[in-house]
Amino acid sequence: MNKLKTVIKNNKRELILKSPLIGASGTYGYTDEFEDFIDLNCLGAISTKGITLEARSGNEGDRIFETECGLINRIGLENVGIKKFISDKLPILKQKNIDFLLNIAGSSIEDYERLADIAQQNSIKAIEVNVSCPNVKSGCIEFGLNPDSLFNLTSKIRKNYKGFLIVKLSPNTSDITSLANAVESAGADCISAINTLRGLGVDIKRIGNKFIKKTVQGGLSGKCVKPVALYMVNAIKKSVNIPVIAMGGISSLGDLLEFLAVGADAFQIGTANFINPKICTTLAMELKKYIEENNFQDFEDLKTKIKGA
Amino acid sequence: MKEYTGKIYNIEKLTHDTTKVVIESALDSAHSGQFISVLCENRTLRRPFSISDFEKIENNKSLLTILVKIKGKGTEFLSNLKINDEISILAPLGNGFSIKEEASLLVGAGIGIAPMLFLKKELNKQNINNYLIAGFRDDKEIIKGYDEVTIGGSVVDRLEDLIKEKNIKIVYACGPEIVLKLIGKLCKKLNIKSQLAMEKVMACGIGVCRGCVIKIKKNETISTASICKDGPVFSGNEIIWEENE
Ligand SMILES: Cc1cc2nc3c(=O)[nH]c(=O)nc-3n(C[C@H](O)[C@H](O)[C@H](O)COP(=O)(O)OP(=O)(O)OC[C@H]3O[C@@H](n4cnc5c(N)ncnc54)[C@H](O)[C@@H]3O)c2cc1C
Ligand SMILES: Cc1cc2nc3c(=O)[nH]c(=O)nc-3n(C[C@H](O)[C@H](O)[C@H](O)COP(=O)(O)O)c2cc1C
Ligand code: FES
Repeated sequence: MNKLKTVIKNNKRELILKSPLIGASGTYGYTDEFEDFIDLNCLGAISTKGITLEARSGNEGDRIFETECGLINRIGLENVGIKKFISDKLPILKQKNIDFLLNIAGSSIEDYERLADIAQQNSIKAIEVNVSCPNVKSGCIEFGLNPDSLFNLTSKIRKNYKGFLIVKLSPNTSDITSLANAVESAGADCISAINTLRGLGVDIKRIGNKFIKKTVQGGLSGKCVKPVALYMVNAIKKSVNIPVIAMGGISSLGDLLEFLAVGADAFQIGTANFINPKICTTLAMELKKYIEENNFQDFEDLKTKIKGA
Repeated sequence: MKEYTGKIYNIEKLTHDTTKVVIESALDSAHSGQFISVLCENRTLRRPFSISDFEKIENNKSLLTILVKIKGKGTEFLSNLKINDEISILAPLGNGFSIKEEASLLVGAGIGIAPMLFLKKELNKQNINNYLIAGFRDDKEIIKGYDEVTIGGSVVDRLEDLIKEKNIKIVYACGPEIVLKLIGKLCKKLNIKSQLAMEKVMACGIGVCRGCVIKIKKNETISTASICKDGPVFSGNEIIWEENE
């Protein structure tokens, strides 16, 4: 019996995974990129790099800035586009039997509708919607920061897509509960949180009698964001009834237990993969050992009991 | 590519700020131009280093050498390791130089000499005519193993003469981006091939995050390529250089 079997469900749909550990979008590639390091069949799933309608070449200039306990990135959604994903990547995922969430992103509501439609036509089991993208048609304000626009966007995607719909929330808000409520009432099956936090890296040097400044503005991730992620997951769980896939700075068994204690149903691992490419399976093994040593029946049993704490 | 536990086999100071670190591991093969990434204490990201030498010593056991120039906390950590200390490495990463059987000029600017020493060894093994020129800012920085050295001025100034003198057909180079850019342009002008080992701050080191990309032009189409997986070695004719560098 697989003790790590994970059931992510609401009153309409469910997503069953082999393990609660998922490789986070943007840090795990599209398909079998981590195959050299781990057995991908032991993974809960991978969340693909964010896919847009057309291929994107990403941002110019420096894309990575390391901070004391984290990382700022401004990749700019470089990706192969949905067409190439379907023609080149999907067959690999299918052939190798790798479970995945298709992470999608767009710059207009129509983009997302089209992507949802394509996911539906290709019988993709689960999609994760990155809503931390600027809506080009309404002054580049992010879709995910306003409850009304988020409700609208989620409803439109829901209309076109009948599979398991996960909406990934941005932490760059003062009111996460309204956003979570909007997503739930628009018919999403699950929330994942958090995406990266806005951050600025500054490198200032004095060379001769001149200051040389370099800045990198982008999304902050890694260990330093964990307390923010815990706060957000806790707040979301208190305001909605749908399940939550938690992420943000997870790198140890202790982190998994902390997120479970505030209501997480499964986990995604992002930045930590860069430090230890085996982390998803290492944590799965540690979690299994913890379950066995503490005499829980399985992961679902642990989840139920820790939530009562 | 795999994750290995590497044991420090030897560690030796080469200059005031550069250390030669010899790592024993189960790494099976490596080729010049490839690199490793090392996990450093208290750093979020692994640090990339060119493989400067590689030798199999037994079945399942090999020695690989990196040259580490101190820049910040990661390189300082590595420079202070002791024999028998253990480190986690990902190796071998990237595509190395694609060796051509032609008169070769090797250029190492500063710590860029590291992969050139390994390339020279590989070329010598195959009896390919080669000449390594190194450039350093001053006497204190000198790392040995070259055929010729420029101290102070720019190593690039010597190249055109050398290429003609030695009837060079291909140039391999590693060093700061400004130097590589000049070398790439010079080779284009002289109509000879160049292979340049590029650098950029890396996050994953294995091609998944797209944090280390440059623009390249192949068959008239422009695309992005990751230095860590598609590179770090690129043909000088392919690279589209960023402005103001
Ligand atoms: C493919 C590749 C091969 C390399 N090979 C070698 C080698 O053989 N020997 C060697 O000594 N160094 C090599 N480097 C550079 C080395 O990785 C950096 O110097 C190191 O990561 C700096 O880490 P740090 O913590 O000491 O310094 P940090 O505190 O991280 O940085 C100190 C300074 O170095 C700069 N820096 C950081 N990372 C890089 C980088 N990747 N490239 C250039 N500058 C950087 C920063 O901008 C900063 O100004 C290589 C880099 C790459 C990408
Ligand atoms: C380099 C990088 C690229 C990312 N790309 C995406 C992306 O394309 N889509 C997305 O929804 N999230 C993306 N993210 C966010 C992560 O999936 C995750 O939400 C965030 O990094 C927090 O988790 P962590 O602290 O474990 O990294 C990216 C993160 C990083 C570090
Ligand atoms: S460092 Fe991630 S793609 Fe090169």
